[in-house]
Amino acid sequence: MITAGIDVGIESLKAVVLKDGKVLARGTGLSGGANRARAVEQVWSNTLAAARLSPSDVSKIIATGQGKHDVRFAHDHITEPVADAQAARFLYPGATSVVDIGADQVRVITLGPGDSILEVVMNQKCAAGLGILLKSMARTLGMTLEEMSSLPDNSSGNATVNDGCSVFAEMDALGLLNRSIPREEVARAVIEAVAVRINSILNNKIKPAKDTTVLIGGVSRNTAVINALKRRSRINFLIPELAEYAGALGAALIAAG
Amino acid sequence: MTQEYWRWPESRWTSEDIDWKKSKTITAGVDIGTNSSQAVVMCDERLFGYANLRTKPDYQESARVALEQALGASGVKPKDIHYIVGTGWGSRNVPFAQKTVDEINCHARGARFMYGPAVKTVVDLGAQTCKAIRLYEWDRIRDFMISDKCATGMGRSIEVMADLMQVPIQEMGERSLMVSKDPEPVSTTCYAFANTEAIGLFREGYKESEVLAAYLFAIAWRIHGMVGRVQPEKELAFNGGLAKNPGITKRLEREMKMTALTSEYDPQLAGAIGAALIAKAMAEKA
Repeated sequence: MITAGIDVGIESLKAVVLKDGKVLARGTGLSGGANRARAVEQVWSNTLAAARLSPSDVSKIIATGQGKHDVRFAHDHITEPVADAQAARFLYPGATSVVDIGADQVRVITLGPGDSILEVVMNQKCAAGLGILLKSMARTLGMTLEEMSSLPDNSSGNATVNDGCSVFAEMDALGLLNRSIPREEVARAVIEAVAVRINSILNNKIKPAKDTTVLIGGVSRNTAVINALKRRSRINFLIPELAEYAGALGAALIAAG
Repeated sequence: MTQEYWRWPESRWTSEDIDWKKSKTITAGVDIGTNSSQAVVMCDERLFGYANLRTKPDYQESARVALEQALGASGVKPKDIHYIVGTGWGSRNVPFAQKTVDEINCHARGARFMYGPAVKTVVDLGAQTCKAIRLYEWDRIRDFMISDKCATGMGRSIEVMADLMQVPIQEMGERSLMVSKDPEPVSTTCYAFANTEAIGLFREGYKESEVLAAYLFAIAWRIHGMVGRVQPEKELAFNGGLAKNPGITKRLEREMKMTALTSEYDPQLAGAIGAALIAKAMAEKA
């Protein structure tokens, strides 16, 4: 049976086509503001083309993510933590927790026995938009996200920015630039602040297990952030190869039943 | 290459009519903002050249490049300039400036040059801060307010929003005015919340114009609250990058029950023009 999952995030769209537990194709694109429904269709048709399939070949499509209701052709919708949990269990059968760091939200899911979910903790309001902050900062620093993410993890700790609020963090970063601090160091300060904020969510309520915690979501691609987070949380995250597609993969798995 | 919705056009111009060798005093103003940097060169209080660029992570380089571009191919060398004043967030990073002057004075001075001597209230709509300035009839500041912590970065947030909405930044204002009536504004406490809250409105069936209206109205409302504290009076002038966004200025005018003056000059140049004019006064005093 061929199924598909489509994850509609605030910033990007992800689609995965699955056949008997194997990924046939995947696709991604920008979420597209008001034209999100159209952007979804575009990503979907590209993904189908990559899999050399026609729409009728796909038995079931399940949508997830903040904009899941914009997938008009989906047969069903599923909330994000359920999709995340499904993908994590599929990729790592021994997984006990999932941390999903997206453009807008940070989510920590504690897995229970069987298919159950014990707890879901979301970021509090002020930790929202970490992914967006990274992107906006990269722009100010004249770097690409890739350049920012490949910075070495050797922060001197001399330059720091506010780790409680994105708005203040940006302001502090601009202050560092004004003091002629090199942009690499400013970038490291921002990365550190993001790691502190994510870590505070991890430590706040649930302490995910050291070796069985899966990390997914777009920010997991940012090596520099993840290295800082690993150092602070002392968790050896399991990061799947297609970490940003995990939500879509989970939805496709659920569609397969 | 995906479209960069957030990117606004840079510009530069150098006069071909003014013979700088005949002018008595050549001065320059360099305004280094968090997002944009401007350099203005004036010959005896006439605009000779300008450049309006995106600020680079190296502020000193931004200052140097902006001045270079304002001078263009005119043949004027930085050392030919009699006096240079730096202003803006990064004013301390204009190494070739003889003096730095605060933004309030520069914007007030620039606005009177650009919009005429009748200006009494200046609202500078910048990327990082907004400032409301009230002037006496003569060239003196009567009162001013600067946006406080949580209201900072509104101009910067518009760039983020342009990206999230996939609407070119220059079209945001016009598109937001396509609504028949403004919807309730989004959260006005913090721009990080305002952005995601606005995007969330799509879920409630809002159209693009309505989301933009709710978002820009929130910004205008916030600025209006601050401007009110200087008790604005006519004539009104808007400076800064956001002054080019009618989605903000039209709503601000509506809330203030005033119409702003218009000018042939780019409102983003106001700070640098003011700095160049102050430089003239300094050169004469020296």
